[in-house]
Amino acid sequence: MSLLELQNITAGYDKNVILKDLNFQVEKGELVSLLGSSGCGKTTTLRLIAGFSNPISGKFIFNGQDYTQVPLNKRNFGFVFQSYALFPHMTVFDNVAFGLKMRKLSQDQIKKEVMEMLETVDLKGFENRFPKEMSGGQRQRVALARALVIKPDLLLLDEPLSNLDAKLRVKMRVEIRRLQQKFGFTAIYVTHDQEECFAISDKVAIMNHGVIEQMDSPSVIYNHPRTEFIARFVGFENFLDLKRTGEAGKYQAGDNSMIQVTEHKDGENFKACIRPEDILIVPDDSGAVNPLKGEIMVSTFLGKRNQYNVRTAIGEFEVSTDQESVYKIGDKVTLSLTPGKIILL
Amino acid sequence: MLEKKTKIYWLFILPGCLFLAVFMLIPLFSLIFKTFFDESGAFSLGNYFELVKSTYFQQVFWRSIRLSLISTAVSAVLGFPTAYYISKYSKNKGVLMALAVFPMFTSPVIRSFSWMVILGKKGVINTMLVSMGLTAKPISLLYNEFSMVVGFIQLFLPTMILSLIGVMDNISEDLNLAAGNLGASRASTFRHVILPLSIPGLVTGSVLVFTGCLTAYTTPQLLGGTDTRVLATMIYQQAMSLGDWTQASVVAVVMIVITIVISNGINYISRKLNPTI
Repeated sequence: MSLLELQNITAGYDKNVILKDLNFQVEKGELVSLLGSSGCGKTTTLRLIAGFSNPISGKFIFNGQDYTQVPLNKRNFGFVFQSYALFPHMTVFDNVAFGLKMRKLSQDQIKKEVMEMLETVDLKGFENRFPKEMSGGQRQRVALARALVIKPDLLLLDEPLSNLDAKLRVKMRVEIRRLQQKFGFTAIYVTHDQEECFAISDKVAIMNHGVIEQMDSPSVIYNHPRTEFIARFVGFENFLDLKRTGEAGKYQAGDNSMIQVTEHKDGENFKACIRPEDILIVPDDSGAVNPLKGEIMVSTFLGKRNQYNVRTAIGEFEVSTDQESVYKIGDKVTLSLTPGKIILL
Repeated sequence: MLEKKTKIYWLFILPGCLFLAVFMLIPLFSLIFKTFFDESGAFSLGNYFELVKSTYFQQVFWRSIRLSLISTAVSAVLGFPTAYYISKYSKNKGVLMALAVFPMFTSPVIRSFSWMVILGKKGVINTMLVSMGLTAKPISLLYNEFSMVVGFIQLFLPTMILSLIGVMDNISEDLNLAAGNLGASRASTFRHVILPLSIPGLVTGSVLVFTGCLTAYTTPQLLGGTDTRVLATMIYQQAMSLGDWTQASVVAVVMIVITIVISNGINYISRKLNPTI
């Protein structure tokens, strides 16, 4: 049985429905990311789990118990806010100790646990500082320490790194992953940053318009997107319509040319996709696999690579190549689509 | 470049400064100046010693302080929950704010007259008490300290509410949720987070209400009696009825000093309580 289960959750406010019949499971010890663009419902989902708001309908089961109506202060979940939400009138020590004080631990016990936790997040010696005297990265670690010191049954992180600069973001995400593996806690991580979420998560749930489109491990999502939305989200720029033929592994494109695809999938008509990096530009079509004749429309220099927009009989393709030969606008070229890299949706 | 600009901008506040200097600072200082000399023109603190020794002044002095403190305390107690509700829970914030500050739209004279109607011998409250048989004769609610405090509170409660709302609006909802998430009940969240973070507003509000009550003239003149004079009405009495401008000026100086001392005192205490302000 899953540790956490959202069953047919509908949520929103007034007449504005944000989550529609959402189902979502998290296993014990997993770090699951909710990924999506703003307004997709990822933060609403996280706040609902934390108990900051209640669903219109549906059930939230945690550890076999119905948590739907449990008030937020009885849930024992840690929450790391995007704004950190540190108490500005309390020192670092008092901030971290707050949850333990509410749990009525003894002074000695509180002191011991807070100091241990501050050492874990590398903030020893900062206990008497106020939040405003600290940098963004340090505040972030205080927020983490405050959420972790209560030994939460579940850690919820709402875009915790979005206010940090790029270098610190990479450092902190490694830190979060390290702490998660050290303590073995279950965590749900909300982000709109794809790289961040792939780097940190056991599983990624991609949300769109209040539903989860796909939930899988990062590599599965990256290599085998299930819907066009996910494919676009993870960098598949080229889409083509294919129709199954009598011959195994061969599909017919819009202009009746034959395209070989390694992947097998049931069905008749497919939307297929391929990344810009998986298309080669070949000198001529003799012997090339899946050749497509086209003309360079736009040429963009990207440093290590060149990007071309190529018009073909079955639509415009975006191609990214590190080949040395450079093409100009108007050049006639032939594209070769690698059969193993074409994904059928 | 920047320096030049700053110099030019000084010109913008020049008219205001000149106006204040000519019509307020100069008369004020000449008033204060005179109080330090006796009739022969020699420097002396005699005026002050004489005043402090007078039992009448002592009564008026302590009454002023006491009534101002009571009014400030009651305004804080009434204003805090109101401001908290308006800032954090109300759906029609604009309407409630307008209602809260509505008393400010009428003049203190009119407000005092309406209290006379309500608190008088034949006023609403006494009529009700007598007809319900709770008292045989109307009780005196007017022209005493009670009616003055009522008047002060009505006069300054909006000020207290406004300064509290100003501060409470800046307390992020995330802090509220963070406290709850860490296991705090609503009462604990209020005590450990909302209350300490509202102290700056409480301080500003208290200073404004206290100094307002201490210097108010209309309300104590209309709602107070002859035996409940406060500093402001005493100044008027000294200057206008008794023609003793020096004595009036001495009382005025005392009033200014108390205002400065008390407001700085409250600020100091609040800074001790909350080092992050």
